[in-house]
Amino acid sequence: MGKTMLEVRELTTKYVTRYRENVYAVDHVSLKVEEGRSLGIAGESGCGKSTLALSLMGYYFPPLHYTSGQILIDGRDISAMSPDDVRKSVLGAEIAYIPQAAMNALNPTQKVIHFIEDVIRAHDLYITKKDIYERARKLFETLGLPAAVLQKYPVELSGGMKQRTVIAISVMLFPKVLIADEPSSALDVTSQKMVIKMLRQLMEVGFVSAMIFITHELPLLYNVTDDIMVMYAGQIVEKATSEEAVFDPLHPYSKGLMGSIIVPEQGLRDVKLTAIPGVPPNLKNPPTGCRFAERCKYVMKECTSLPSIPLQEVSGGRSYRCLIPEAELRELYAREAHSHGHH
Amino acid sequence: MKGYRKYFLNKLAWFFVTLVFAFLLNFILPRLMPGDPVAAIAARLAQGMSNATGVQAIYEQYTELFGTNKPIIEQFFIYIQNVVRGDFGFSFSQYPRKVADVIAASIGWTLALQFPAIIVGWVIGNSLGALAAYLRGGFDKALLPVSIFISNLPPFGMAVILLVIFGVQLQWFPTSGGYGFDLIPSVSRTFLWSVITHYQLPFWSIVLIAIGGQAIGMRSMAIYELNADYVKYSRFLGIKDRTIVWYVFRNAMLPQITGLALAIGTMVGGALVAEIIFSYPGLGTTLLNGILGQDYPLISAVTLIITLMALIANFLIEILYGFLDPRIGAAQAD
Amino acid sequence: MQHTLRQIFRSGKFVVGFSIFAAILLIVTIYPLLVRESPLTIIGQGTFFPPGIYVSVYDSLTSPRYTLQLDDAAAKRLASRLSDDDRLAMKEWLVGAGLLESEIDTTDTARLLGLWEATYDPAKRIPGLTNAKRNYYVRLDASLDGLLATEGLSLATKDPQTGALIETGQVAQTDYANVSQVANLRVLALGTDNFGRDVLTELVTATGVSLQIGIVAGLVATLIGLTLGLLAGYVGGLVDDVITFVTNLFIVIPSFVLLILISFSIGQEQRGAFTIAVVIGLTGWVWTARAVRAQVISLRNRDHVNLSKLSGHSIFRIIVADILPYIASYVVMALILQISSAILAEAGLSILGLGPRTTDVPTLGQMMNWAFIYQAYILGKWWAYLPALAAIALVSFSMNLMNTGLDQVFNPALRE
Repeated sequence: MGKTMLEVRELTTKYVTRYRENVYAVDHVSLKVEEGRSLGIAGESGCGKSTLALSLMGYYFPPLHYTSGQILIDGRDISAMSPDDVRKSVLGAEIAYIPQAAMNALNPTQKVIHFIEDVIRAHDLYITKKDIYERARKLFETLGLPAAVLQKYPVELSGGMKQRTVIAISVMLFPKVLIADEPSSALDVTSQKMVIKMLRQLMEVGFVSAMIFITHELPLLYNVTDDIMVMYAGQIVEKATSEEAVFDPLHPYSKGLMGSIIVPEQGLRDVKLTAIPGVPPNLKNPPTGCRFAERCKYVMKECTSLPSIPLQEVSGGRSYRCLIPEAELRELYAREAHSHGHH
Repeated sequence: MKGYRKYFLNKLAWFFVTLVFAFLLNFILPRLMPGDPVAAIAARLAQGMSNATGVQAIYEQYTELFGTNKPIIEQFFIYIQNVVRGDFGFSFSQYPRKVADVIAASIGWTLALQFPAIIVGWVIGNSLGALAAYLRGGFDKALLPVSIFISNLPPFGMAVILLVIFGVQLQWFPTSGGYGFDLIPSVSRTFLWSVITHYQLPFWSIVLIAIGGQAIGMRSMAIYELNADYVKYSRFLGIKDRTIVWYVFRNAMLPQITGLALAIGTMVGGALVAEIIFSYPGLGTTLLNGILGQDYPLISAVTLIITLMALIANFLIEILYGFLDPRIGAAQAD
Repeated sequence: MQHTLRQIFRSGKFVVGFSIFAAILLIVTIYPLLVRESPLTIIGQGTFFPPGIYVSVYDSLTSPRYTLQLDDAAAKRLASRLSDDDRLAMKEWLVGAGLLESEIDTTDTARLLGLWEATYDPAKRIPGLTNAKRNYYVRLDASLDGLLATEGLSLATKDPQTGALIETGQVAQTDYANVSQVANLRVLALGTDNFGRDVLTELVTATGVSLQIGIVAGLVATLIGLTLGLLAGYVGGLVDDVITFVTNLFIVIPSFVLLILISFSIGQEQRGAFTIAVVIGLTGWVWTARAVRAQVISLRNRDHVNLSKLSGHSIFRIIVADILPYIASYVVMALILQISSAILAEAGLSILGLGPRTTDVPTLGQMMNWAFIYQAYILGKWWAYLPALAAIALVSFSMNLMNTGLDQVFNPALRE
């Protein structure tokens, strides 16, 4: 067991709309990532996974607000720090973020190197321009990026190159934890592969110690991360290793998400997450009890009459949020697979 | 550098194209109307002028100037030739003055009034808009409706309000003219002071109108930029808020410059009417006199000059933009 | 649809703008039903009668008379005839004539008049008195005659044969007429203009006409802009190139200049309100075309449009069913802006004397123009221009407020 790099305890954050309504997009989420490991977060769009990524940074600005819970990076509680301390000593240096839309993540009127200067200067006031350039050049070369990129404007870079540049900038200060929010979703297949390769490389060469990877593309998660966490309506519904989550999901929602990709060879790429009928609930007024009940095939009376459904642990550190016992769920899935086989 | 050159050549070519079309429109529009322009001029002359020799001289001048007996293409070249030589013929209403002289006497006033006013209005308006977007809250809530209200006053409305409050009620500034009516233009302290006091009301009414529109535009631009992805990313890399705000305002300002280039024609048009309210001795008042005197050559020349002014201003702003936006040099090089 | 409407009406800015606009529309519709007089009827002989209730002097003399003993009547009468400036001037003369300044109290009218009557002599030489000032005092003295008189006035008629005056009655200072019993009175809430026309009636009609001009011009401009924008954006290729070229051209060439040229060329006789509206529309479409084109280009390759194309739907059907609904909110906003800017354009043209023909209908711009020509601004005749200016500003303000409200509903980035 390695050292815990990121630990989140019961984190709750909310959006405040312009009509002063509270939307709890991250609801009592706890997680742990150990040194050298990566965690994937999966779910449909609107399930709160991107908000979770933002919330993990410990730095909030409207409309997102912190409500409760703790975030510990390498044992240090950053949720207790002042926003300015978080900015100075945590953001970029301890925990870094790769945004969903890397295409527009760079200031369009600034050369890449000038942006890097601003990033490094925000944490180290006294470093010289020359040192910054040297550091950037070395890092770019280690990651296989041409140093010429440093002197270019974002508009001069191709999509894939821009994304890789953004990744390189994110790890410029060797953060302990890296959070990548769908870093490959807008790219073509070749660029996607290069981005994934680069993210793996970051872990291997030790530029980052732990990683969280958020995506709705399941095949990617299975290939990239060690563990998978499934989110639904702001809550964690299942935590497991990638192997277990993909081949042996327990929660009916995970089953719906993962069920169809048991045989990766068969057109894995085309499986869309919209395979489950219905849409996630509106988090302005989340339903009582199980939030997935409305769309669940196995729904029972208790699912909606209880105030909430607890996350229950099973063997090997797995957990899932469902009233149906593990064995019974497996039986249900097996029966279904059997009847499918008949058709 | 190659990118810049391409950009400038592009803009220069476009400038000449618009120039040609401006001439063409100014030439064609009056001719599209029913009846031959010289006949129409003759008819109008019969109404107004009493000086018989003057009428005759103008009539002959115009038959020649328009060359109505020649084919339309040739007429156009005659027109261009005359315009290039600065020969717009005689003014009907101020005969025997030539149109070129009338315009020469007024164009300086307009240039000295409008362009500083528009630039000052642009700078103040953009600063206020940026501030509103950054601060939000009470300042924004107060500024936005006021800006909307101001920018929706017709330009002459603002002029009337300033005239009545500061000219008639408070009597801080004179209400009409470019200098005291009892003065003769000279480089004396009295004269200069008179010019400065007469300058204030027209100047500020144009500034205020510009502020309203620019503040609204800059506010939306800055809010749009504040929500851009690079702002979020920069924040999460721990970059200081001050630095990010600088990114945002620089980027929001660029489209505002392009916006100014596109809006300059409309702004000049509005400012001309504001001039009229103060009987400022610029092109606006000259235009009004031309219209009141049914002075076709004067109107035609003034509208052409105004169009040229707008086109040149547009061109200059575009060139300036080329220097301010680093992407121009980079993007065009590929 | 219902949801969208509800959202729109939750926007404070839209609601305020809409209320102002609805109120203006209501007034413009209802007022002509109550007042049927033609707005251009000249009722006053003379220029710029101030706002107020005008009572027929003749009819009030022949209406039933009542005697009221009011304490402050005499003081009020004096105050209205002897202004503060006059009092100060009198004091100045008296001091010049050698009286002590401390003895003269300008607020005590009776005493002041007493002193004046006792001292004033037009022949007396006061040092430093100009001729003009001397004449002023002579006039002032004459007007003071009978100011303190308590007797009434005699009414007389002329004998048709001899021409001699025959006294027919007396009017005492305590005689009152009941306004509701006077046969003729006229409320001129905003006075009269330079031609002697009722400004309020004129204003309401002018607001209506200006709105009509705005709507016609706005519709023309939006229709042209929409058509060209759709063509350029959807068809693309050469069509797009040509339309974009023309649009960019008319963006840099000031439309106001085109308006002036066209309006002047049309000539005074041909310039009806409708013609002006169409001309304004013809010169105002560029921004709409540009914006619509940009929107359509971003829509052109959306899935639902591609699906329609694959299904072999006609261009017309694709535009109507798959493109228009997505830009509808945008087009409505553009229309609102076009209407308000057309109203401003008409006003600008009218100031230049190129507005609609003046003989059939008033417009807000023309009211401003008349006020300008007859120097109402400088003479302080606020009722001749301020209401018209306020009407222009309110119409335009309300429309832009609605527009900003809509913008915030449809472009969430502009929200807080």
